[in-house]
Amino acid sequence: MPLKTVASIDIQRLEILDADGSVDKSLMPNVSDALLLEMYRLMFQIRAFDERAILLQRSGRLGTYPMITGQEATQCVPPLALRPTDWVVPTYRGGGVYFARGMQMRYGLLYWAGDDRGTRFPEGNHDMIFSIPVGTHLTQVAGLAWGQKLKGRGGAALTYCGDGTSSKGDLHEALTFAGQFKLPAIYIIENNGWAISVPRKRQAASRTLAQKAWGYGVRGLQVDGNDALAVYAATLEAVDRARKGGGPTLIECETYRMSHHTTADDATRYRDDEEVALWRKRDPISRFKKFLTKRKLWDDKKEKVLTAKTRSWIDAEVKAYEEFPAPNPLNMFSDNYAAAPWNLIEQRAELEEVLKFKGGAEVLMELPPSEGRFP
Amino acid sequence: MKTAAKPAATRTLNLVQAVNEALDTALARDKRVMILGEDVGRNGGVFRATEGLWKKYGDDRVVDTPLAEIGIMGSAIGLAISGFRPVAEIQFDGFMPSIFDQAVCHLGRIRSRSRGKLSVPLVLRAPHGGLIHAPEHHSESPEAYFCHTPGITVIIPSTPYDAKGLLLAAIESPDPVVFFEPKRLYRSAIGEVPASAYTVEIGKARVVKEGKDITLLTWGAMTATCSAAAERLEKEDGASVDILDLRTLSPLDLEAVLGSVGKTGRCVIAHEAPNSGSWAAELSALIAERGLLRLLAPVARVGGWDIRMPLFRLEQYYVPDADRLVMAARKTLHF
Repeated sequence: MPLKTVASIDIQRLEILDADGSVDKSLMPNVSDALLLEMYRLMFQIRAFDERAILLQRSGRLGTYPMITGQEATQCVPPLALRPTDWVVPTYRGGGVYFARGMQMRYGLLYWAGDDRGTRFPEGNHDMIFSIPVGTHLTQVAGLAWGQKLKGRGGAALTYCGDGTSSKGDLHEALTFAGQFKLPAIYIIENNGWAISVPRKRQAASRTLAQKAWGYGVRGLQVDGNDALAVYAATLEAVDRARKGGGPTLIECETYRMSHHTTADDATRYRDDEEVALWRKRDPISRFKKFLTKRKLWDDKKEKVLTAKTRSWIDAEVKAYEEFPAPNPLNMFSDNYAAAPWNLIEQRAELEEVLKFKGGAEVLMELPPSEGRFP
Repeated sequence: MKTAAKPAATRTLNLVQAVNEALDTALARDKRVMILGEDVGRNGGVFRATEGLWKKYGDDRVVDTPLAEIGIMGSAIGLAISGFRPVAEIQFDGFMPSIFDQAVCHLGRIRSRSRGKLSVPLVLRAPHGGLIHAPEHHSESPEAYFCHTPGITVIIPSTPYDAKGLLLAAIESPDPVVFFEPKRLYRSAIGEVPASAYTVEIGKARVVKEGKDITLLTWGAMTATCSAAAERLEKEDGASVDILDLRTLSPLDLEAVLGSVGKTGRCVIAHEAPNSGSWAAELSALIAERGLLRLLAPVARVGGWDIRMPLFRLEQYYVPDADRLVMAARKTLHF
């Protein structure tokens, strides 16, 4: 009996915007001028925010911080294809995603300053905190999407993981569930080329990461992750299909981590400047700006206004962040259970005794009010 | 009198340098030894524990793996069964739960399931503990999970000398060893380390200092906190403090524990993990079972609270400090 092909896969790559800011009109999604300008604003502002956050860390005013620079299109654009009630779970390098979802960035700073009060998202949004043990959220997002499907209101769930995380079993199980139960889930692999010091080519022998989708009956495609229009078009299509019951999509966004892994890392130890220089030419923001300028939607005057607006926005967020009073140590006991068990009640009282031992009998009066629910 | 052998040259190293030197020694003298982990190669590890080794021993022996902890753990088990001596690294303590299945269902059971035919002589290294202002899930103390699991040796050194000697002993061990490295001590613990190869016996505690009124029983970075507390107790309370650094958590040096507690009659156990279900609970139970009549006061456990490790702004109120140890010791002394 001759061998016959029983399945073959076809991996497509979507690019709409070229390096000069010209678009492939046949692929151009239907996007209003206002939305195009919003994409630019988000990317522009989050990069400026990123730069300030790094300065804050370098001057001892922030803890370890994961840089976003280079990944603005992949982060800021997909949320624009969603409703606030769609679930979104980014990675820890997800400041751009949360910003596009309307988060006040003072909270982002607070989180990276080691303050548990930093996980605050806009009321009414279905945003979730990322997971630091990477990829462990991916199966949970299958559950979030499953919930949306069961509720039957056309809701979806969108999540991210890195190229490194795509090596973990979590993605395998998440896609298995998403495919099997035809869940309204969108999985974005934010392939930024590097998992700390390990390059993408060391993660998987496969030509693309997008093709992983096909093993699970999930649609997969690769997108130029530094092309905001392509990212938008691919996400919108995936979200539409999800809402209509067409099932999940895996989108590999090929982008680049322009900076270190975090402020605790030194990328010059393991990667060449030439590669970074190459990707600098593919910068998502300057490309998009060329496009807007060609469309007569943007000019130097508008850029100046946005620059000034951005500076005062960041100043205000940093000020608000730095004005948060030091947290009450007793806060850590709040919100661990719906109702705290006896051991926590005892231990919280013990911590009060410790604080008195350290600072005198009046110290408890001087603490800021404790936050959260206890017992 | 015989002339003592000339002592081998020693250098002053910190704990992470001592780990690096042990790995270097093991790679140099035993071709079966290989290192696997995330960022352990070209980057030399996020704490620089494997610095320089990739360049020296190459890609086949110091392996940057894909980002997949189950893959690291499972393939290390397979390599160990095949006759290699893998030293696998999990980058942070908080990433260890993902290898739980491999650790609990396989790591310590393969020898008995194969009726002694197969063994898993591997070392699993991971940083341990808090107080370095690290992000979430980078400051955990998961030792009890592994101590609770049969078939696994669990080690945590607190000095550079012990780090090198115990790691070399762990690599030589015929059975799997989980080797925790207190990250707070990576650079702050400094001491003399022989340049030559040597081992420190697994399963033996270290007497940090001798005293007669109270025993501080501890491991890892809390050893340093216990020393600070002991200094205060001796100065302010005139108490004579015995400090025992367990070094090997499983199998326990029960003789040393009962010896010290039998001598002082009072014991405070200091550690970083949540107290409930902790390794301190096992120690306390053993002391109660076997040394009750020597006790002059109940055994006190000072650990983390029974909640998750908070983000780092509050970690100093979570991990016990000298104040908490002094408070507990005074209560025990005045029982």
